[in-house]
Amino acid sequence: MEIAIVALALVLVAARLAWPRALGRRRGPGFGEADLVRAILKLGPRELDELFALYAREFGPGAARYARRTLRKWRSGEVRPNRQTFERILLRLPRVMSFDLKCEVLRRLREEYCGGDSYRLDVDTEGWREALEPLVEELIRKSYAAELPAPVARRLRWLADEDMRAARAILAESQARESREALSMLRGEFGSIEELLAAAGGRGRVTHTVRLPAGTITLRVRGGRN
Amino acid sequence: MADEHEELAPQKQSLFKLSADDILDNALENLDERQARDVKRKAADEVVRLAVEKRLAEHRSEAARDEMRALINNANLLDQRGGDYTINSTFETATGTTQVQIRKSRTTALALAALGLLLLVLFLIFK
Repeated sequence: MEIAIVALALVLVAARLAWPRALGRRRGPGFGEADLVRAILKLGPRELDELFALYAREFGPGAARYARRTLRKWRSGEVRPNRQTFERILLRLPRVMSFDLKCEVLRRLREEYCGGDSYRLDVDTEGWREALEPLVEELIRKSYAAELPAPVARRLRWLADEDMRAARAILAESQARESREALSMLRGEFGSIEELLAAAGGRGRVTHTVRLPAGTITLRVRGGRN
Repeated sequence: MADEHEELAPQKQSLFKLSADDILDNALENLDERQARDVKRKAADEVVRLAVEKRLAEHRSEAARDEMRALINNANLLDQRGGDYTINSTFETATGTTQVQIRKSRTTALALAALGLLLLVLFLIFK
């Protein structure tokens, strides 16, 4: 009996110790070299073409062909990018990248590491703005204040260069404007949702997910005013 | 008194955090000519990108509105035919995604009414 109790206690302690680590693994993207490469490989097709053209110029067409072939496996996690790939793509290539491409790399990193928060709100079609506006304002403030996590900034020192400071300011302003624009567009969208709920006459349920650069807001919408 | 206040205030330093404009201005001062040109061009490109995104978002919004109206028409047609139905639909809109469920379930309504009636009877019996 005592042995069973001790065994149970040990299992519980082990589970308690493993729990935060398991949560940590699931929470957000990792900061490892392979994680950073994977994040960058989610760039758009135009940016990836430019990246691989530079890759071929700097490291030879054979290496670029291999990188192109392995892209899908790197993205899916089937193959883990090694240290050499990280150094080539994220330490050596930025020295020869255009400012435009470096900005797109930074934008991707900000999407990956600074925009993961999600919120849920219950709103109605009349009072939604009062409920939503403070949250959008908060997300706009977050866009301005967003900094890449320290482990990422430490690895990618070129992000601290003067031109990249300017890039950060441009992207932050752009994200803030995008969020403000979304808020103004929501007026029209809520008009459509109100029309739909009124026509559905109690049969309808609506959930609207607003995607902003600094986070996602899921709204459960009810007709009229609560 | 006014002089004292002036002395207490920091001379060339704002009490507020730097704005994006300040950061940009500071950065531009420290960049060489080519870099400054690149930064200005990127800022202008970003304005154009936002304008294009806005236009695309407006188109998505209009399309979603039409699709929502069509959805209601379909639900009304199903209503006329009678019987239970559930329609789940997802619309890509200007700001994200709208998920709609329209549901009519006479069976559920009848079951709820029967349950209510049963509870009422039990209440009256055991009162």
